[in-house]
Amino acid sequence: MFAVLHIADFPLHAVLRSGAFDAGGPAALFDGNGKKSLVTTANAAARATGVVPGLTAPQAVARCAGLAIHAPRPAAEAEARALLLATALNLAPVVEDTAPGAATADLRGADPTRVSAAARAAAAHLVTAGLPAAAGIARTPFLALLAARRSAPGEVTRVDDETAFLAPLPVETAEPTAALVPVLAAWGVHTLGALHTLPLADLTARLGADGLALAHRARGGDPRPLRAHPPPREFSAVHHLEEPVATLEPLLFLLRRFTERLALELRAARLAAAGFTLTLRLEDGPGHARTFRLPGPTADPDILLRALHTHLESLRTDAAITGLRLDVEPARPLERQPGLFETGLRDPHGFADTLARVSALVGAERVGTPRPADTHRPDSAVLAPPAPVVPPPEPEPPHAPWGPPLRRFRPPLPARLEFAAKDRRPSYVWTERFAGEVSAVRGPWCASGGWWQADLAWSRTEWDIALADGGLYRLLRTGDAWFIEGEYD
Amino acid sequence: MSAPEKIAALRRLLAGRTAPAPDAGRVLPTGLPGIDDATGGLPLGAVTEVVCAAPSCGGHLLLGQLLAATRARRERIALIDAGDCFDPESFPADLLAHLVWVRCPGPVTRALQAADLLARDANLALTVLDLRLASAAELRRTPGPLWYRLQRAVEPADLALVIETPFAVVPCARVRLEFTVSHDATTLGRPRAELAARLSPVLQRHRLRAAV
Repeated sequence: MFAVLHIADFPLHAVLRSGAFDAGGPAALFDGNGKKSLVTTANAAARATGVVPGLTAPQAVARCAGLAIHAPRPAAEAEARALLLATALNLAPVVEDTAPGAATADLRGADPTRVSAAARAAAAHLVTAGLPAAAGIARTPFLALLAARRSAPGEVTRVDDETAFLAPLPVETAEPTAALVPVLAAWGVHTLGALHTLPLADLTARLGADGLALAHRARGGDPRPLRAHPPPREFSAVHHLEEPVATLEPLLFLLRRFTERLALELRAARLAAAGFTLTLRLEDGPGHARTFRLPGPTADPDILLRALHTHLESLRTDAAITGLRLDVEPARPLERQPGLFETGLRDPHGFADTLARVSALVGAERVGTPRPADTHRPDSAVLAPPAPVVPPPEPEPPHAPWGPPLRRFRPPLPARLEFAAKDRRPSYVWTERFAGEVSAVRGPWCASGGWWQADLAWSRTEWDIALADGGLYRLLRTGDAWFIEGEYD
Repeated sequence: MSAPEKIAALRRLLAGRTAPAPDAGRVLPTGLPGIDDATGGLPLGAVTEVVCAAPSCGGHLLLGQLLAATRARRERIALIDAGDCFDPESFPADLLAHLVWVRCPGPVTRALQAADLLARDANLALTVLDLRLASAAELRRTPGPLWYRLQRAVEPADLALVIETPFAVVPCARVRLEFTVSHDATTLGRPRAELAARLSPVLQRHRLRAAV
């Protein structure tokens, strides 16, 4: 059993899909950009107004004033073809690139009760992606192609009764040679059903080998081995923009197309994306490239697009964008059962997306889990990416913390001090935020470090002070300057 | 249909289209008798405002206790530090293994934006927004809808949102606790666990979930 995914007027729909064009309005594809270029393909809306292949642009516009004129775009066709084949590869591992807009999948060995639903889903997916595809399922590739051509977009036709299906079809669907067409017309044979009634031996005797081949095709042909299309080994997508782009929406439109197709290709290869690289080509100057690492391999296009969207929202380039490229790093998908007491992330991709959005808001260097640095210098903790799994708590340290924790003032508040004449201890403090009489003082505590390197050397003296009006603060002296470093809270 | 009936019908319609609010009984225990005895803990799916009305009144002690409580359950916590005043060295390193620290000095609205993003994340059990260093004028200028937007973000989640402020300013807080007493100088020489156990904020507000 074979399935064919077929897209009528494929070159035109490939072009319409590549831009934000109105796919429902009348549109025609011409064979070039010159004045004498001719219509090669017209969609249903254009054909309804009389636009047919072979017309020149003035003739076509005279028949349909609102006709959208498009020139061929090989890159758009290649992208649409890749999407069609990726969709077919998700139906079956052996796929043939039969013709532009037609892909044949070998369903032999598949569960016959499920193939119709799978083919319908594949066709519907292509329709959602902007390609009005239909599907046909039959005993032979030729019969499946005929069935697909007679299906509406998004629908599937399954041929179980071949004789009944073929009988009303015009004899031209069996593709007779040019010499046979007038002969059959003269005999009054206009349908495949009429051709069936002729004895095979007599037909062969009168029409020769061409007649025998025609009779075979008229009966649906024979199953044949497919010319297998190799699945992609590299997962990338490229687009060169005709006009430079300076806003987000056109890029997201293209990236959505990219991610949908690449996710299909990854799923067909039983792979997932471990990361990807986005490269933007700028109108002038160097391009922009950014590599993304995903928290876990995924083939979900929405997750890929969300990561790209979050990055592009905060991206500012010096020049407009003239092209983009997306390269996916494939990896084997993780399939494991979480442990009963494991406290991993419920939604790793959602967490990565949240962190990316917060990083875009406040700066990537300002988000993370604090880790102590390898120094005794105060306030030197560094931020590290949050761990994917929260580790089990360690035993309590032998020396539990004492006193309230410090709330740092960053930068420390410059302070002016008054000292008691008796013992030279601070008695009054002024800062830009508060001032008051010092009721208690603890200290001093001296610390220093980095003395072996001039640019790393530090030295400080600290006191803890309590104000009479309330408030515990850390008083800091570095050199001759005094500061309030923080508040014990 | 009279106007009250229309409003009631509209409420029923909206209630059917939005996610049901979590049960009012679900809380995040803090481990502090002064809070858990009064409210059962921090309500999940709701906003808790902690007003630190005096200097050195224990807001950071409470934060340390929340870090310990969530660390013991291996849950994640996010701290949006609008004053950039959190000091990691004041806490044991292991107590911070589950913390996402967002250093967010600047306008209050930006901190609220960050809180809005984090409040919608399903991986967090607690989000703390520290606005204690924000100016009174800026807090009063903050549009009311921003607070309610935060409340709506939290409602469908299994997350407690704590906002520390210098004075009562969050209109949609379900629970409002107020610290009014400053530590005295002797607290510097006492174990922190003992200080935390003695924390007893004043319960200013404890709303039940509004019936739709």
